[in-house]
Amino acid sequence: MSAGYIDEMHEAFHSDLVYRAEDIPLDCSPKPKDLEQTLHGLMKLNGLVIRSLEEIAGRGANAVTYRAGKKFGHEVAQYFQKREDVEGALHELSDLLRGQYSFEVWKPEDKEKFIIEENGETFIYLVFHDCIVRQTLRRNGLDQGGPLCQTLFGYVVGAVEEITGRKAKLEIVHTGPNACLKKLILK
Amino acid sequence: MEIHVDKDACVGCGLCVKDCPMHVYELQENVSVAVRPNNCMGCLSCHEICPAQALEHRGIYGARRHYIDIKVCEMLRKVI
Repeated sequence: MSAGYIDEMHEAFHSDLVYRAEDIPLDCSPKPKDLEQTLHGLMKLNGLVIRSLEEIAGRGANAVTYRAGKKFGHEVAQYFQKREDVEGALHELSDLLRGQYSFEVWKPEDKEKFIIEENGETFIYLVFHDCIVRQTLRRNGLDQGGPLCQTLFGYVVGAVEEITGRKAKLEIVHTGPNACLKKLILK
Repeated sequence: MEIHVDKDACVGCGLCVKDCPMHVYELQENVSVAVRPNNCMGCLSCHEICPAQALEHRGIYGARRHYIDIKVCEMLRKVI
């Protein structure tokens, strides 16, 4: 490595910035647009971690990722106002999470209510529109519905449990490039 | 939601009929017809699966897409 190159590298990491202990950054640095490379790096890494986890742990990978998602869901939702109606809780959750995941409660046109009772099951259909998990999977050429999706399952289940106190389960009905249909089964 | 099927392009393979969980499509005289467009939740997997690219959705929410490959896109911009 030439001395010139080392000097150039040192130069790139040198600035006149004065950093004081009391300075609290109020904005992301750099601007979000400049973070595109970072985002892609993170997505790539996340995809590789999940792929490796699946190779080593097999189906156990789902349990790990589900657990991680559930913890995240409980953590986020603990600051929400507790309420009993699941429908309202989901609306609130959807508003607050816009950016990471955006979803809507959904029903086929022949159903009157969002909470559907069928074959002894009570469930709500959720359509996930914006989803960082889907972006990551497609960025890495991985199948949808695998372990990384389990984080999302755990997330929603954890949040719903935290807000309403009701046990729930999430099932994939269909995955697509633009949205995914999921079924939140209430117990 | 408005779904348009290009009848000239549709090859009547029925993949969209099989794929859609909400039974939005039906095959009528070997052409796919969107019989329940209001049941469409906009996943667009029918677009991905259609070999003739005969489908068009209007009034759909387009999800954010970060999964482009920056380097591939840069190369494409140079070529196109």
